Amino acid sequence: MRNALSKRDLALIASIVDRYKSEGHELAKILADGLAGLCFHSSLSPIIHSVRSRVKDPDHLRDKLERKMLTAKAEGKQFAITPDNLFEKVTDLAGIRILHLHTTQFPKINEVLLRLLDLEEYKILEGPIARVWDDEYGDFFQGCGIQTQVNKRLYTSVHYIVGSGERNLRTGEIQVRTLAEELWGEVDHTINYPHKCEVATCQEQIKVLARVTSGATRLVDSIFRAKADAEAELATKHSRTPAKKVKAHSK
Amino acid sequence: MAHPITAVRKRHEAPRLAIFNHKGGVGKTTLTINLAFALTELGLRVLLVDSDPQCNLTSYLLSEEKVNELLDHSDEADGATIWSALKPVVDGSGQPIRIPLLSIAGKLLFVPGDIRLSEFESELSTFWGESFQRKVRGFRGTSALSSLVDSLATAHKIDVILYDSGPNIGPLNRAILLDCDYFLVPAACDAFSIRAVKILGHELSKWIADWEVVKKLAPDNLYLLPGLPKPIGYVPQRFKVYGGAPAQAYASWLPRIEKSVRDDLITVLKRLNPELTSSARAPLRLASIKDFGSLALSAQSEGVAIWRSEKATATQAAEAHSDFLKLAKSVLQRINLPLP
Repeated sequence: MRNALSKRDLALIASIVDRYKSEGHELAKILADGLAGLCFHSSLSPIIHSVRSRVKDPDHLRDKLERKMLTAKAEGKQFAITPDNLFEKVTDLAGIRILHLHTTQFPKINEVLLRLLDLEEYKILEGPIARVWDDEYGDFFQGCGIQTQVNKRLYTSVHYIVGSGERNLRTGEIQVRTLAEELWGEVDHTINYPHKCEVATCQEQIKVLARVTSGATRLVDSIFRAKADAEAELATKHSRTPAKKVKAHSK
Repeated sequence: MAHPITAVRKRHEAPRLAIFNHKGGVGKTTLTINLAFALTELGLRVLLVDSDPQCNLTSYLLSEEKVNELLDHSDEADGATIWSALKPVVDGSGQPIRIPLLSIAGKLLFVPGDIRLSEFESELSTFWGESFQRKVRGFRGTSALSSLVDSLATAHKIDVILYDSGPNIGPLNRAILLDCDYFLVPAACDAFSIRAVKILGHELSKWIADWEVVKKLAPDNLYLLPGLPKPIGYVPQRFKVYGGAPAQAYASWLPRIEKSVRDDLITVLKRLNPELTSSARAPLRLASIKDFGSLALSAQSEGVAIWRSEKATATQAAEAHSDFLKLAKSVLQRINLPLP
């Protein structure tokens, strides 16, 4: 693959990676820390399970830039990334992943997250966009007013691209997904990143895993919905029962 | 009634100068106050900020009763010290509030210090950390003192701002140095002072480099510390003068201080950003201030410039006057401020 890139191309990529090493990597760490910090806010932390943050490794960035440049060449397009606009053009140098237990938590998480981003003066550059493959979840996110995008890799996750400010635009990525989806994501990432695994069985099994983890999310959703329904029913019953009886009952 | 200051849109143009050395006992307060007096004599409106929780400058300028009165009421709504102004920032209620300035001899205006400023200082550590998480609160907090000074400079048409800072390398001095346009280093003629310059160069570069990174992620429209403090030179202290020239023992220290300031401070900063050293020209020694001994103490207890002390002989007064005017002119030249 490398052969298709000229010396000049590689020099440009090296200059971008060097700038990233000397400055961008540190900025990415701060940005990722800042975004992760939002999740410790008292309005968000109780409704999420955990947050993970990461910054792009300089070597992985080099791979990514090489792939992007090859694609640009193959498609006859211009490769528009420079050391100066790296943080603008590559939006996943800094990223966090917010994990939660069940899908019905999402609308509240989205609402609080957007408010916190606004409070800390981040600009939403893209999203939220829900990447889905199961129609049932597609309907759910659309019902919440979230734009959806069908993905063939069979995962479910909501993505946001945020910017630090217009004067000095530096971007970061936020993903929100269930804990079950995270298992698929981690396995896929470990097997296929930075280079896609060529073992057909692995690819086959990862597709099966996507269905299993999606099924796990669906099961968790169902467990929480059953509980919520039962509690709601109990509450309705109580509200119909005379006050005196409620007192006796609660003893 | 307490009025919160409005957010800084455009930084007031009066240059800000810190007189800073984290080593104590270098005659920093005496130097600062007499420099301020000399600058006012040259016709400038000077804002003197006592940003040292030890309040030496405030004690110099005000009587003991007045100092006590200020400190006793500084925590109240109508308090008038630097702490009274910054308290709302620590309480979390927001912007600093405007305080009345004290006026000494007409053109010298001054913000009284406060021992409770150390509470603001400990909060500054948190603000600094929060800036490294790109939190709006962190950026606002780190620039709170700067915003206060800006608002006072605007309201009182100030020409030049002097910070008298405590002898340490801490969060408060970090915020002050990053706010300053310029700083000068009072240095004593001893080995400790030379060691201190080295540490100063190292720490300062770290602060500037860190802040430069943090600034790149800051949201738009927030007022930020500029983070470009330019050294203008040093002033050696504590000369015993015999026949006009520094006594031999002290004289031998002068080249060593000059070298240390050049190599351990100027060169280090230049490597970081050449713009930082645009006001540091040789000789780095801005003036030689004689050791006026007990006269400095008398002037301090009278709350006046050394040359105005009742105890000064005509010769001493003339010498002190001339020394400090020379220093003031040399400072103005380095900070590119023309005489009015």
